[in-house]
Amino acid sequence: MENKILTSPRTGDSCIHVKHKSGLDIYICEMKGFSSVEALFGTKYGSINTMFKTSEDKEYTTVPEGIAHFLEHKLFENEDCDVFELYAKTGASANAFTSFEKTCYLFSCSKNYQESLKILLDFVQKPYFTKASVDKEQGIIGQEIKMTNDNPDWRVFFNLLRSLYHNHPVKIDIAGTVESIAEIDAELLYKCYGTFYNLNNMVLAIAGNVSADEVLAICDEYLKPCEDKGLETVFPDEPDTIVRSEVREAQPVGTPIFNIGYKCVPCMGRERLRKSMAASLAVGIISDASSEMYQRLLNEGLINSSFGTEIFSGDGYFSVIFSGESSAPEKVRDAVAAEINRVKNEGFGEKEFQRNKKSMYGSLIRELNNVEAVANLMINSHMDGVGPYDAIEVLSEMTSADCLEFIRTELFDDKLAMSVVEGTV
Amino acid sequence: MKYNRAVFDGNIGFSSVIDEKFKTNSLVIRFITELSADTAADNAVAFGILSDTSSEYRTISELNEKLSMLYGASLSSSAVKRGDLQILGVRASWLSNRYAIDGEDITGEMLDIVCGCLFSPNAADGKFDEEAFRITKRDLLDKIESEINNKRGYALARAAEVAFSGEPAGHSCYGTKETAEKVTPGSAYKAYKRILEQAQVEIFYIAPEENPEVEKRLREQFAGLERSSKNNTFDSPSPLKSEPERVSEEFDVKQSKMVLAFKTESDDKPAVKLLSTVFGETPVSKLFMNVREKLSLCYYCASRTAGPKRALFVDCGVEKDNIGKAEAEILHQLDEIRNGNISDEELSSAVLSIENALRAVGDTPSSYAAWYFERFCENDMITPQEQFEIYKAVTKERIVAAAKSLKLDSVYLMLNKEVQE
Repeated sequence: MENKILTSPRTGDSCIHVKHKSGLDIYICEMKGFSSVEALFGTKYGSINTMFKTSEDKEYTTVPEGIAHFLEHKLFENEDCDVFELYAKTGASANAFTSFEKTCYLFSCSKNYQESLKILLDFVQKPYFTKASVDKEQGIIGQEIKMTNDNPDWRVFFNLLRSLYHNHPVKIDIAGTVESIAEIDAELLYKCYGTFYNLNNMVLAIAGNVSADEVLAICDEYLKPCEDKGLETVFPDEPDTIVRSEVREAQPVGTPIFNIGYKCVPCMGRERLRKSMAASLAVGIISDASSEMYQRLLNEGLINSSFGTEIFSGDGYFSVIFSGESSAPEKVRDAVAAEINRVKNEGFGEKEFQRNKKSMYGSLIRELNNVEAVANLMINSHMDGVGPYDAIEVLSEMTSADCLEFIRTELFDDKLAMSVVEGTV
Repeated sequence: MKYNRAVFDGNIGFSSVIDEKFKTNSLVIRFITELSADTAADNAVAFGILSDTSSEYRTISELNEKLSMLYGASLSSSAVKRGDLQILGVRASWLSNRYAIDGEDITGEMLDIVCGCLFSPNAADGKFDEEAFRITKRDLLDKIESEINNKRGYALARAAEVAFSGEPAGHSCYGTKETAEKVTPGSAYKAYKRILEQAQVEIFYIAPEENPEVEKRLREQFAGLERSSKNNTFDSPSPLKSEPERVSEEFDVKQSKMVLAFKTESDDKPAVKLLSTVFGETPVSKLFMNVREKLSLCYYCASRTAGPKRALFVDCGVEKDNIGKAEAEILHQLDEIRNGNISDEELSSAVLSIENALRAVGDTPSSYAAWYFERFCENDMITPQEQFEIYKAVTKERIVAAAKSLKLDSVYLMLNKEVQE
């Protein structure tokens, strides 16, 4: 086992990273003065991993859309009981989520964390799927899919992704469709479980009122050593063009909702962290609430306080998204594009850059103020291939030239798509 | 942790919580006023303007430029409902001075900004600035129109309107589209003056280190006002309808929603809370285990209490064809509790779940502010541990009695238009 103490030079915060003999990466942050504990046990397996193989397989396997999410639901049933019944005995609040690139099982508690940790490690390593239990879940997830289909923020976002990406599975809905999940059976679930729920592909992050020694003793007892099976996931080739520049959908909403996205070049690891930060600072300078454009669009009645930006990136995708509500989204799109083109030519002031840099520094420090946020920071940064405190260091090295370069080399009018959800009468 | 509460002249409470584990300072100022259809929108607009601009920072971008320089400090306002009251809040949060790279006094500057926004607003001649007003009013109108975007939230809000019809709690804390349309720069300013001078005020300051300047400054600012404030009544039980009222509305949605509103005359709030927890607040509750897991009818089916109104809501998203089945099962599970069918495990897991939440009070600045505000409203300044002992003492018999006291008051249905016959 390899133990490493990671420390933030700026705040003095620290956590322990252990490469456990079972193959699992473990992050532990003892947070003095806090009462609660947040633990996440996650695998690098999300909705985009629809095509994969291990060194034991000759061919790549392609699985139905939504299977990672389906598996997340089904893991909560043990052979003899429901996992929630076990947590009910400790008082912990348990949950799970599936995103594009990962599935995480988590609990938060303020008492009996050792018992809850044992439950977490145990059930995630013990799959149990039957035809009857798979059939039962189709109904529940079917309702979840219908619920998200009624969520206009969800629809406007996925419609944008389908306009930006031709082939990359980031465009598919995380839960799949009622039709795709009908193809899922117990055998397929075991196949996916065996491939992705290998401890070499997983991470445990735990923060708050914990003792590293206690956590590691429980891990030693509960983790079953895994052989690294050389997992490979592949994605179809993705052209750098967009699919369509505009998509609209009708739904019962108030003011129309929009997502405006630029398709950019994807990258991984520390380069992705750097690029995300440059992108975030750059779009902040252009459009955050302190910018000239934001105030102008407010004055013109084109946006309201819901206006915001997001840097959306992962394995094989990277985009910059402007979102909000507007009765004239096309005018917002044109204004954003015009401002980006103006900045390409004229640049921006060092003062604006420093202001946004300070603001981002503040938000990175604030993240360390909260048990849940620290646990998420540890697991997310590991999955992104960086350390939990790397962001503050990367930020300190960031210059206005980096931000300008991002705008000049990544944001182009022909890579711009707009998705709108507007009200039905 | 060190807690202290001071009372300023004019019915103003100032609570400070000093907890060295935090990296941020938070200031939450709550103005408590009656919720009324006539004033809700004026109040909401006034507080929107207060957190966006001031006489020193005349536009949103000017103010945000300053907040960015202060390491992304935040300043926001809110209007929420608690029973028959409208709680208007201003909340600010900023990094502790020890993290200031350039040695700024962030706390001092934020105190200037908050006091500027509250006591020296962007107004002249008895009216808010036209431009700031126009932006905030439109924002409120958009917010009201966009309530439908969140289908679950919309169904719950409509259910509350039906259940509390004719009572202040039946109104939205933002007002309606019609009342918001009528707000003027002058009427919003009048609302601001009225709230500042008449509302009960509770202030919460949560920080890693003491700073007497915060209390001193706020005490001085409020002392400059001519205040006459009366105490509010925080509990306002809602009368039960003679017959359950059923309201259904059609929308172009894929999934229907159902909300059942129950009312009780029981004063045993701890027992009602335990009842709700056993009934539908956890993944081992009766509603989750039966309506979702056993019958696969819903993705969510949950209960929640509205304590000040002595009400309990159950909501779920369900196929239109299964609405009858889901309602029957929800009522059946309530009957199970009424008949005393609560296992020792169900009761102990409900108590543990509540204990888990109570022990986490104090892990975030907002949880401190919420806890002490709730204690103030309940007029019961106990610790989370003491609150837990109260819940722990609740017996099965008290839960059964609470369940028997629950009566169905109203049902709200959001129906899928396409499958309507």
